Amino acid sequence: MMTTNMNTYNPVELMVVLLSREVRDNEISACGALSHIPAAGMLLAKELHARNAELIILNSIFNPFKTSRQFHYLAQRGELGLFFVSGVQIDQYANYNLHQLGPDHAQPDVRFPGGYGGGLIYYAARRSVAFRTEHTKRSFVENVDYISAAGSSPEDTLRLGGPSKVITPKVTFMFNRKINRLELESIHAGFTLEDIVNNTGFAVSNEHAIQTAEPSELELYTLRNIVRQRMINTNTYAKWAENSLN
Amino acid sequence: MGVPYVPIIGLIGTDILKRRLDMKIVENPFNPDVKTVVAQSLRPDIAIFHAQSADKLGNISCGYDAEVVMLAEGAKHVIVTVESVVDKITEKDSVGTYIPSILVNSIVHAPYGAHPSGCAGLYDPDKVHMQAYVKASQSEETFQEYLKKYVHGISSHEEYIDMAIPDHIKKTIK
Repeated sequence: MMTTNMNTYNPVELMVVLLSREVRDNEISACGALSHIPAAGMLLAKELHARNAELIILNSIFNPFKTSRQFHYLAQRGELGLFFVSGVQIDQYANYNLHQLGPDHAQPDVRFPGGYGGGLIYYAARRSVAFRTEHTKRSFVENVDYISAAGSSPEDTLRLGGPSKVITPKVTFMFNRKINRLELESIHAGFTLEDIVNNTGFAVSNEHAIQTAEPSELELYTLRNIVRQRMINTNTYAKWAENSLN
Repeated sequence: MGVPYVPIIGLIGTDILKRRLDMKIVENPFNPDVKTVVAQSLRPDIAIFHAQSADKLGNISCGYDAEVVMLAEGAKHVIVTVESVVDKITEKDSVGTYIPSILVNSIVHAPYGAHPSGCAGLYDPDKVHMQAYVKASQSEETFQEYLKKYVHGISSHEEYIDMAIPDHIKKTIK
């Protein structure tokens, strides 16, 4: 018996489902270390619409490579279809910041471990989908304090791909390549445009925004049973899967 | 690795690139319409890293799938400290990454040489020691005390093993 209630899911499950929909069949998708939500999203996609997708989840058994050099050159060759990234700050130009906070680069208020690879993969993966579990004015800013990865680049730059979407617990932004800006694509159930405007540090308009398609019964059932168990069995963020996906 | 420079797709427009004087934006020589980043190679005079075993010619069995082979390729003089020295290692009997002796200049027999870090496949990091190290590093004074106790005040590797290697790690190597 499936007892899944269509309208009951937690924000993490919603984000996992939305990320999973970005994975395409017959493509290589990847995420870095400490990426619980995209890891679950990729495994969900593989159970549903992307059975022939190849997945790379770093620091897990879902990684065909022995060294990071192999992963680096796979991406540099342009073979990576989709990469999932996150940032402490994300701005309206889809730049993200994983390095430090504060206006003075030489004297930061806070320093994070950073992420050198991100600044390369953002250029090399065909599509990058950024996710952020906190949708507030401090995480979605007009301009990031420090650009770890650049959303756009000069015309004459060798670039194989770039940002495609940003997914939060409240909305999905789409990256408009013509103007190099994030635009509201859809608003998740339970949120209003006013909520979004009040919690986003840059101007948003709902010119084209629609309501996000809610997780289906099949998506939630598969996530809570098959994907959750698979993550536990393969020790892929097992503890997190056990606690967050149910 | 160790080649003069390496092209990189990415980084243009980031604040990382602004700080990196060893990286430049250049025209692609094969297609001057597009630009890309090139990174100057790192050519250290000396590289020192730890591995599981070496043979008498300097062939190395790392014990795991190691990235350090890039260090061995890039550095001018390569010193490898090892848990054990054996008669002969070929690529076939190597555990994990094999580094041929042509890339290696010196080997040093140093059991537990990775301590307080771990040696993959043999022993884990010494978490208790690591915590003490982190604590000691919080002031100049306590750090100097740490150095005195574990580095400058030690007269031989054997003395370090006796004093600093806990029994549960000693048990991992026969």
